[in-house]
Amino acid sequence: MTRKASPTIALFPEASFGAALNCVGIAQALRARGARPVFICHAGFSGVFADYGFQEYQLPTNEPLSDSDRQSYWQAFVRRHLPHFRLSPIDQLETYVAPTWQAIVDTAVNAEAPLRQLLARLKPDAVVLDNVIMFPAIAAAGCPWVRVVSCAETELPDAEVPPYLSGMAADDPQREAFEARYLSASAPAHDRFNRFRADSGLAPLPKGLFLETSPDLNLLLTPTIVRRERAEPLDPDRFVYLEGCVRSEGPFEVPVFPRNGGPLVYVSFGSLGAMDVGLIERMLAVFDRMQARFIVNAGGLRDAYRAVPDNVYLDAWFPQPSVVAKSDLFIHHGGNNSFCEALRFGVPSLIMPYCWDGHDNAQRAGETGVGDHIGRDAWTEGGLERAILGLLADDVMRARLRENAARMALTPGTNVAAQAILSLIGT
Amino acid sequence: MQAAARRPRTNHLDLAQRILDVARQRGFEPGARLPEQQIASLCNVSRTPVRAALSLLAGQGVVRWEADTGYHLAIDLAAQPAIAAELPSAEEDELAEAILRDRSARRLDQTVTVAGLMRRYDADRKTVLKALNKLTDENLLDRAPGQSWLFRRTPDDPEAQGESYEFRLLMEPAAILAPGFRLDGARAAALRQGMEVLSALPDANFDTREFQRLDMDFHGMIAEGCANRFVSDALADHLRLRRLPGIYAGVNVFRLRQSLREHLGILDYLESRQYEVAADLLRIHLRLSRNQRPQAASRGAPALFGMIRRPD
Repeated sequence: MTRKASPTIALFPEASFGAALNCVGIAQALRARGARPVFICHAGFSGVFADYGFQEYQLPTNEPLSDSDRQSYWQAFVRRHLPHFRLSPIDQLETYVAPTWQAIVDTAVNAEAPLRQLLARLKPDAVVLDNVIMFPAIAAAGCPWVRVVSCAETELPDAEVPPYLSGMAADDPQREAFEARYLSASAPAHDRFNRFRADSGLAPLPKGLFLETSPDLNLLLTPTIVRRERAEPLDPDRFVYLEGCVRSEGPFEVPVFPRNGGPLVYVSFGSLGAMDVGLIERMLAVFDRMQARFIVNAGGLRDAYRAVPDNVYLDAWFPQPSVVAKSDLFIHHGGNNSFCEALRFGVPSLIMPYCWDGHDNAQRAGETGVGDHIGRDAWTEGGLERAILGLLADDVMRARLRENAARMALTPGTNVAAQAILSLIGT
Repeated sequence: MQAAARRPRTNHLDLAQRILDVARQRGFEPGARLPEQQIASLCNVSRTPVRAALSLLAGQGVVRWEADTGYHLAIDLAAQPAIAAELPSAEEDELAEAILRDRSARRLDQTVTVAGLMRRYDADRKTVLKALNKLTDENLLDRAPGQSWLFRRTPDDPEAQGESYEFRLLMEPAAILAPGFRLDGARAAALRQGMEVLSALPDANFDTREFQRLDMDFHGMIAEGCANRFVSDALADHLRLRRLPGIYAGVNVFRLRQSLREHLGILDYLESRQYEVAADLLRIHLRLSRNQRPQAASRGAPALFGMIRRPD
């Protein structure tokens, strides 16, 4: 089979900004190589990809939620889960992880019929799935499919890799206890998912797993500097490391601060983390007494803030890669995109994780000397200030990160991903 | 807020800008004479402030003085639409900008007082009052009881942005379709040139601030071209809100470029007097410009639009 002049690549990211914007980066590189990337998106993400110039196909939903329903959902979600985000990873298993897996299984079940219809109509040359769960329609699409592992590397289990979502070191003595509790907590959702797979013609997955590796191609974002040794190395023909996967955004102009001067620190906990206004307010009080400038992503709750310090600039959205490129320190939640962007631009990470693989990246940042981490609960103002000042003053770390960033810039992950996808469908 | 004495007076700056607008509207070419009496008559002022404003423009190299013949236009206004941005600013203008910037970053509450602003900006009462009056004139502030002022709601949150686009969808096409619409040809030509120059820049050098200036000028031109004064005034008042900091934040370069192309397409039809097509294209442009990005998203959760209340 020879490569089509303009193959259609259907990208299907989960309904989160990390996966969505990661896929935008890959799609930009595919478009630059003459392919026709299109997006399959969940309700609510229509327009996000069109704004980057990509065709979108929204999955229809049986019961579309009104804006008021969505607000009620989120109000309840935040009220319920904010306290859980202060818990340890193991104590989040029953409180946050298990109900989230149930909700994720719901999305897979609900998407199945419309996704099958859409893929039959689109007839893509390949499907790129950036999610944490399998959609049987993709396996049945009649074309190769690509899995993007856009969470931390822990998403692919291995004896030498710590358990997914644990925030542990590989040799943590509590490892077995965590694994047992994880399997128990996720079992109801997993059993339901396996029944759904069987009904859809797919083999069941081992306990705890919701997504298999692709037989065709798997892309991992994990940059070399934080990569782990595996007991069973991944087959390089099927597993390609991207060295991050950073989209291109427009330039960012650093705002003028009434109290101008000092290093620039960017703070973003993603749209979910931005809901923790109380935590960010406590942080602003610390920032106020420091000789530095802080750019803070306040998400949809910007109006909740008053008397913001003169060395702080709040806004609801930033072109993150362009902001990180101009920053001296990035305080984030350990989302894999944020972590990779910090590495791509040679900026130390101070990670304050609250859920999912943020815990794993926080642990890894400390282990590999590319940053530091602070628990979301029980941090002190002095501790936060010392952590910020320590990272800003660590010239050895900065030099090492700069060298690493220069290496990452030589082979942008977006280009490697696009090339690997096009090679897959050209053979 | 020092060095007030060295700054030009606001009324001279305003008049300088009006002189340039008149010269542009009348298609004055480089070298054209600018007789003080004629300018005074066109701008409805006496000759004394005209002399001061022309002197200000001479200092910027926009006009030149010749002993025998007086002031002449020194530049091609059609090719340089951004003169206003290069004029020096008055003290109260700078203060007004700082107030807007700080409100946008939520350093200032929705209600401000003269005394509070004097302290914060180390400015005298007169300058603060001038800045507040300027912002009030621009419909950005309302006078509240006592010595306080209240910031008006601006389209800087998703709900207000949605309402703003709904308003503009109603009014802007109507501005074109109302009988008697007149396009300012010189302004349109300058805008076209500016948009083509910006479009040619690579992504890495794309100037978002210049986009904002061109965008406001483009939509302002449509508002001012409307023959129905009530539509024109309502739109002009609303469009002024879009000059606030942060309004254009978060729009990526791809969409901004697309937006420039849409502006140019609308201009084509305005210039060829096909107003119904122009109004239709404008409607599409506004629909596409409305930001659809959700405010929050998470695995397994429906994306959130609009705002939620601060969690307890």
